[in-house]
Amino acid sequence: MERRKFLKLSCSMCVAAAGAGILLPSLSGCSPIPVIKASVSDNTLTVPLTSFKDGKLAIVRSMKLDSDILLVKKSDSEVNALLMKCTHQDNPLTATATGLNCPTHGSSFDLDGNVTHDPATRPLKKYTTEVTATAVIIHLA
Amino acid sequence: MNKISIGIFVAGALSFSIHTNAQVLTHEDSLAAGLVASEKATLLSGYGEVACTYDVRNNTANADVARAVLFVGHKFSNKIALFSELEIEDGKVDAGGGEAAFEQLFLKFDLCRNAYISAGLFVPRLGITNENHLPTTFNGVDRTYVETWIIPATWREIGVALYGKCDRLSGLNYSFGLVNGLSSANFEYGTGIREGRWEGRNATASNIAVTGSALYYFNKFRAQISAYYGGSAGVSRTEADSLHLSNGAFGTPVALTEADLQYNNNGFSFRTLATVVNIKDAAKINAAYGNNTPEMMFGAYAEAGYNILRFWNSETNKDLTLFGRYEYLDMNYRVPENGMMNNALAQSYVVTGITFLPLHGVVVKADYMIRTTGKPNPNLPPVSPSVPFYASNGFFQLGIGYSF
Repeated sequence: MERRKFLKLSCSMCVAAAGAGILLPSLSGCSPIPVIKASVSDNTLTVPLTSFKDGKLAIVRSMKLDSDILLVKKSDSEVNALLMKCTHQDNPLTATATGLNCPTHGSSFDLDGNVTHDPATRPLKKYTTEVTATAVIIHLA
Repeated sequence: MNKISIGIFVAGALSFSIHTNAQVLTHEDSLAAGLVASEKATLLSGYGEVACTYDVRNNTANADVARAVLFVGHKFSNKIALFSELEIEDGKVDAGGGEAAFEQLFLKFDLCRNAYISAGLFVPRLGITNENHLPTTFNGVDRTYVETWIIPATWREIGVALYGKCDRLSGLNYSFGLVNGLSSANFEYGTGIREGRWEGRNATASNIAVTGSALYYFNKFRAQISAYYGGSAGVSRTEADSLHLSNGAFGTPVALTEADLQYNNNGFSFRTLATVVNIKDAAKINAAYGNNTPEMMFGAYAEAGYNILRFWNSETNKDLTLFGRYEYLDMNYRVPENGMMNNALAQSYVVTGITFLPLHGVVVKADYMIRTTGKPNPNLPPVSPSVPFYASNGFFQLGIGYSF
């Protein structure tokens, strides 16, 4: 009986975990940072300027990269492209309107990629960008 | 024996990094690792802290290498990585004390860009300090007392956990874990549930625990709630019956809930946390093991700090934070009928001091802590028998720490 209970509970929790993994990312709500899927071509990523919509941030996702890139629109001609990987232990970062945070160990960075809170000691990887009339081109090399 | 184990591990880790085909990365190199599809890589890192404490009433002082931790990580592929942390506490390990232990040893499996699973020995996301315990990340020489005695950081157990974040609600992170439970037989009077942790050594796994957290970043705020619920009697049914305990997955349960909030802006920092532990079968545990287990424990703190270098240079990268913290905890907030109350376990702490980071990764700390407690129960043994106990005492503390 106890064994059956144990198995039932374990299975329920596994199902709940799987469900959480599927459902939580789909929660509807405010969407301040659009996620743009892009393909790498000649070591560059091209993102339409319309991706920013009303905000100044956009997340670029490519299957060729193991981390997302946060685009920060500084002005009409200047865009920061920051690799969303913590420089402490390579954990994924969470972006907000004011910076990037590592939920694992508490590091934080400003929107220029500078460390604002330890334990990270080095700034985020920043890619060279080029702004054209219609798009932002991120140079990965 | 412990020394031999450490030597083998360190030698193994180093020879592994040298002889494997994997690339050993510096942090600088690791920045580019995300672009190197399927390339293996090994990462070395670590942290440590040394502290000196002067006990004002007893006129004694203590100096200690509180801990040194060696981190070895290895990326097997773009989807699977190893994280390990080997820790030595109190400088050395022998019959007189000290501890050598794995603080973490788990494999991380990336499910997708926003979710991953950790499996092995890991620290669940409970409170602030359990995950974020590096000395460069908190004020004060000691970790907070609430997150030492009520939430027993660093609390690691063996299990599996799902971590993720949400694209459609930017800033939301979550975790859900399943780990081995506690041992109520090992609870010690005056230390809460701390001694009931298995920490990866021959844990009973017929009693289990679930943990969960929701963490939300918005602007300069970080808010989190987290919880733990698990069984504490991983014994056979026969033994449980003879002790009048409930065994099974969640038998003789321990429940912990926590909420915290942090704010950082322009050199000003604030954090607060509150937590409650419930042990509803404390009377049964006391009858079985006679360890004076409480039914309920409670703790809370609030801390504010300001980087005073900002007065002179608002763009400075250096950090000289002046801080103050108030903590209150009660390790026997409620005791069962067969337990004994000790007001010495209701404690408040006022900590003021400075935290200086001349650069990221290095910290020098100094603080003064005043501890005030209720009157000890003369019918109970003192909490620290070797040191005369004062209901009010002060401690000067100095410390250095690093993290890389």
